[in-house]
Amino acid sequence: MAIKRKRKTNIINKKKADKIKLGIFDMTDCEGCEVVLVSLGAQIVDFFKHVEIIDWRLGQKMKKDDDLDIALIEGSPITGDEIEQLKQIREKTKVLVALGACAAIGGIPAIVEKDQREGMYNAIYGAGYKPLGIDSLPLAAYVKVDFSIHGCPVDGEEVVRILNEVKSGKAPQYRGYSVCYDCKQKENPCRLLEGKACLGPITQGGCKAVCVSGGLPCWGCFGSRKEANIPALMEILEKQMNKKEMADFFGTFLKATPEYKRYFK
Amino acid sequence: MSLPNYIAKIEGHGEIQLDVENNTARLAILEGERLFEGMIVQKRHNETYWITPRICGVCPIAHNLACLAAVENAFGVSLSPSSVALRRILLAAQNIQSHVLHLYFLSLPEYLGVDSGVEISKTHPVHFKAAVALRAFSDMVAETIGGRAVHPITPTTGGFHKYPSQDDLKMIKKETAKVKKLGEHTYNFAAGIIYPDLRRGTEYFTTVGDDDSYPMTNTSRVISTKGLNQSIQEYSSLIKEKVKDYSTAKFSEHNGRGFMVGSLARFKNAHDRLLGPAREMYDKNKELFSHHNSFLNNLAQAIELNHFIAEIDKQLDFLLKEGVDEKIAEFQPRESRAVGSAEVPRGTLYYELAFDNDGRVTYANIITPTAQNLTNIEEDANEILKTIGKDKSPEEKKDLIEKLIRAYDPCLSCSVH
Repeated sequence: MAIKRKRKTNIINKKKADKIKLGIFDMTDCEGCEVVLVSLGAQIVDFFKHVEIIDWRLGQKMKKDDDLDIALIEGSPITGDEIEQLKQIREKTKVLVALGACAAIGGIPAIVEKDQREGMYNAIYGAGYKPLGIDSLPLAAYVKVDFSIHGCPVDGEEVVRILNEVKSGKAPQYRGYSVCYDCKQKENPCRLLEGKACLGPITQGGCKAVCVSGGLPCWGCFGSRKEANIPALMEILEKQMNKKEMADFFGTFLKATPEYKRYFK
Repeated sequence: MSLPNYIAKIEGHGEIQLDVENNTARLAILEGERLFEGMIVQKRHNETYWITPRICGVCPIAHNLACLAAVENAFGVSLSPSSVALRRILLAAQNIQSHVLHLYFLSLPEYLGVDSGVEISKTHPVHFKAAVALRAFSDMVAETIGGRAVHPITPTTGGFHKYPSQDDLKMIKKETAKVKKLGEHTYNFAAGIIYPDLRRGTEYFTTVGDDDSYPMTNTSRVISTKGLNQSIQEYSSLIKEKVKDYSTAKFSEHNGRGFMVGSLARFKNAHDRLLGPAREMYDKNKELFSHHNSFLNNLAQAIELNHFIAEIDKQLDFLLKEGVDEKIAEFQPRESRAVGSAEVPRGTLYYELAFDNDGRVTYANIITPTAQNLTNIEEDANEILKTIGKDKSPEEKKDLIEKLIRAYDPCLSCSVH
């Protein structure tokens, strides 16, 4: 499995009067990123004014069998049905957007590796259980993803910004900074300087540093920045933890990413 | 390849499988297994309640606090009174967040003849505005106390990493006064609906704490409408989980039968503990609630929402008067095993955790409210087919069962975990 970092992003090319055809889908997951969408309230309803919702299982019963301009997909395609559904969505979608850490980078469900599943099925369900699950991987393991909205969960304002960019036919861009910049804006003291763990320097910004502001480390749920100097951060963290602890820390959200595989496998 | 016909407007993936010939139904849960109970084995105690909220984005605070209760019970940690109050506020905010989402966006639109919450913004703007304002209020409280509206950050073993300031608390107090009217609006909305008249006796389970407050965080005993009264530490002798060949979620049973948890069950067992207007609203509908009708869970949630607003208000008064103790209780991880539980939006949530001497997890079992309700949902669905749905077409039968399932506010993502 490899997440391709460099690719040509599909864009929407529509006449102004035409409504954007949108589908919102969830694979196996907590649906917390869709909850963030709902929490946007009037803001998301404003966005929906220019949109025709073709399919949104969590939000409505009505669905149409139609092509999509944008598919927003949350969660991990764990079961065979989900992998099939994901491929079907890809075929009829112009711009496929991964919504949140599970879809974008694997996130929490990807902590469980494929070869651990059988032992866990036995322990949790008992012998003889016939599972539906195959593996917990991000969408890019199965289809081309045009853009990822990061976070566990996603940040509401980032969702609005990115969706508006996609809607107006632009290829969306990431913030050109790491979580450290978010953290400075919140006037948080630097955890690394205090001898505490943090993945902020290597992590894509845009989260408003909520975790560090709330007293926790950055766990990297926005994914690693392209320019990230991971070995330099590892050198700092080596003074705080052993190799296994560091792998666990990096592996909380990043276990299915090429960066994790490169440095911890 | 044809895909399952997932039920719309519920959290997670499931399908009603109707056997028309035999007039029976079953609920197939088709969510993938994320294996959280395996995932957190070997994790440190302070990673558990960071990871497990990801079981459910609708009730992440519930998972955070129930998991913390297990950790704190295992290590013998006792919280300061102000941390207890803050946890109650946080869970009250969670329960409002979840009830609002469920009532206005998932469950009640169909009673108005509308398909979705987005449509409600056009057809019933007053309801939509109430929903948005209540959601914004509860998100704000969750964010101020817990660090974020979805997936909390600040709660930690023994207290909180970050405590709200007195100004924060005053601000919440001011906003709480504003939403009381919206709580009443929600009640009037839900009380004005005529629910399908299903009647089927079942046993209602609720956990309660050591005092006589309405059950929320850190409950300690399981009680039931059939006289059960046992420590939560013995939960596994009361609740048996059955693996089904058509479901990735286990179905709970008590003495080989279904039982019900959630708002309606809390009313059956603890309505006399409701605060303020919620108590009056319950009394007005006392006769209705004496029917054993699972559809009334919607009404119970709407009334409970008023309780949770009053609960936030009450705890704020305490914190504004007594101040916030910003210490985190000291503790030493040790080899131990304990159960923690809480009364969360959909019912009782149990966490059983065992630790080694370094505070790493050696065993985990999680039983979510929806997993507990699954057997009861199927029993209700089959009762519908025999009674109020008997003469309907297969499509209408399915619709009625869907409505029933939504009344339970099930979280299938939670039930599989």
